[in-house]
Amino acid sequence: MSDMAKHAGTDVEAPARASRAPRTRRFSDPRRASFPVLLVFLVPALAIYFGLTAYPAFRTIYDSFFTIEGMERIPVGFANYVALWQDETFWVAVRNTFIWAFVAPILDVATGLLLALALYAGVPFARFLRIAWFTPVLLSYVVVAILWMWIYNYDWGVVNELLRAMGLGDLARSWLGDPNTALAAVIVTHAWKWAGFNMVVCLAAIHSLPREVLEASELDNCGWGAKLRYMIVPMLKPTLLNLYVLAFIGKMKVFDLVWIMTGGGPLWATETVSTYVYKRAFNWNTFDLGYPSAIAAVWFGVVCAAVILLNKIFKSKDRLEY
Amino acid sequence: MSVKACLKAAVFLAAMAGSAHAQTQITMWSNWPDEPAKKDWVTARVQEFEAANKQCSVKLNFIPKADIYTQAKSAVRTGQAPDIFYMEPDQPEFLAGGFLEPLDSYIDLAGLEDWAKPAWTSKGKVYGVPVEAYTVELYYNKDQVKKVGIDVPASAQLTQAQFTDLVKKGVAAGITPISQGVGDRPFPGALLTYEALLRRLGTDDYGKLLAGELSYKDPRVAEVMGWVKELVDAGAYPKSFATLKLGESHYYFYQKPGALTFPDPSWFTGRAFAAPESGGMPKDFPLGIMQFPAMDKGDCPNCKTLAVAGSFVLYSKSKNKDCAGALLKSMANVENGTKWMEQVSLQTGLKSDPAKIKSPHEAYFKELTARNADVKYFFGTPLFHYRAKCAETFTQVMNNAFPAGLISVADAADKMDAACLKK
Repeated sequence: MSDMAKHAGTDVEAPARASRAPRTRRFSDPRRASFPVLLVFLVPALAIYFGLTAYPAFRTIYDSFFTIEGMERIPVGFANYVALWQDETFWVAVRNTFIWAFVAPILDVATGLLLALALYAGVPFARFLRIAWFTPVLLSYVVVAILWMWIYNYDWGVVNELLRAMGLGDLARSWLGDPNTALAAVIVTHAWKWAGFNMVVCLAAIHSLPREVLEASELDNCGWGAKLRYMIVPMLKPTLLNLYVLAFIGKMKVFDLVWIMTGGGPLWATETVSTYVYKRAFNWNTFDLGYPSAIAAVWFGVVCAAVILLNKIFKSKDRLEY
Repeated sequence: MSVKACLKAAVFLAAMAGSAHAQTQITMWSNWPDEPAKKDWVTARVQEFEAANKQCSVKLNFIPKADIYTQAKSAVRTGQAPDIFYMEPDQPEFLAGGFLEPLDSYIDLAGLEDWAKPAWTSKGKVYGVPVEAYTVELYYNKDQVKKVGIDVPASAQLTQAQFTDLVKKGVAAGITPISQGVGDRPFPGALLTYEALLRRLGTDDYGKLLAGELSYKDPRVAEVMGWVKELVDAGAYPKSFATLKLGESHYYFYQKPGALTFPDPSWFTGRAFAAPESGGMPKDFPLGIMQFPAMDKGDCPNCKTLAVAGSFVLYSKSKNKDCAGALLKSMANVENGTKWMEQVSLQTGLKSDPAKIKSPHEAYFKELTARNADVKYFFGTPLFHYRAKCAETFTQVMNNAFPAGLISVADAADKMDAACLKK
């Protein structure tokens, strides 16, 4: 041990000695929690985790190999998975969910970033706007869905009234009733609800950017556009990518808003995997949970794989240093 | 206090607790939280039962139908379902799963209409008390229909051409011809199409269509669907059809903006006869009931759909079957059937005594009775017959996309055959 280390009160060999110490001595250390105390703290959390997360997940996978009618369980092997492969509605739901999951987060993150930049740039009434833009995050999906169903209403909704007022009445339509616009309409609603959350995260990230770098750019007469493109966005990249991945995971499971606004219609145009699982489990004139469990199991795997893939793609090799 | 006094007090408290335990509490889930007349009828029956059966108390909850089904599906499996719950015959999985108790030994079956029993009969046993029954009717605004130049004949039935004329004249006058929306229901958009199909095909072939034994490409079916498509393209339905909810379509018909007709099951009264300030029909509304149009070359112009809807069933794993069965028994009699007709102004699967019905809506009842005189009933709506993927396709295609003009006759027929036709 060097003199310096001794002087600093550190002991570089201590960890090695500790690892050699007998097991009993470790527990007799009064600074460490005893095993029963550890149990008191761990057991409730583990019980909740295993009871409410792990067990239902494994049970869902297990159930997917059965047909469950009433109290009867009939093992069917991989039959549910084979049927799923041939299920047209499932593939429509997969397509719609992928559109949600890959496209909608771009809208979410871009909107959040723009709002954050507006606040950072010091738009008038910034304090009021920060609260106003964040408020939708606090609303429940039910409230948001009803609000936007009114906004999209054909006869008296704001969107169509605005179009009519601008002389564009021909563009007025039943936004949620038209298969060509229904999915986009619901995605916009979802983006509206979550824009405030993305805004807050982006704003915090912008405020944590090194001021000297931004001030240096201003000294170099760097305009707003260039500063945004070459400095702010690259430095915010890790935050934006994390927001994208979070939004992606959320949208792979999207249910509430779709269920309330369209129920998956019209003509399955807004059907998502989650709404389809729910329909198969509760709206299909059957008690069979085997098939919906198979959908849920497959989708669990798809979400995990997609998140791993996205993390690999987005993993920056050249970390920014500042 | 002496030891003796303490003991006396303890004995008294124990006795009180014992008597409290002697009372059995049963739980009951009913639909109709937003339909005052039906809610009042159920509440009154429960209160009467509790007054007459002190050993039983009832914890009654009014829950929307969709929520009852969802909750009951989970609850029956875990033994936690209510003793009595609301159910309609289009949910056969509860019966098939063995979750319903046969009622033959609990209720007096003579209190049920003979035509209503089959809806709940399986292997010779009756499993539900069919409180609510209905026919599919075509309500109309007498003044508006007259205003656009259509005279409804004494038979109250227009021909196919006359109905087309009514729709076109309504559109020309800026009045929506048919108030209808599918925002929260899986069936209303298909009412006109299927009543027309029933009149064109007759009960036998219509039954085959709903059993998946007749193709939607049958020329007669194609003709009817072609006619409905003509009406749709002419602007028969509101532009907000896809999102308009059932309650809103009532308001659309008799308040704002108003419509010529409103196809609806006869449970129409549950909302229409509520107070106007609660969204009910204005007192002076010129309501009429006409028959659905007689189709060209139709096999059965006087056919009509009759169905059983809201019923109460007994959970097979109930631990309080005596009290629950006694409650259902107390409901299923002529007196209560008559009260239902009086209060709700709707048909019932309970037997009733028409001579004793005293209702402020007597004129309505007379007209409804007249529209149901000499008709030939077909039992059950499409969703009563369709299951699983076929039911889902019906909801998406025939209830929603086809009457919304989103899909052609050929495409709709293809999708329905793919989902429903037995190979």
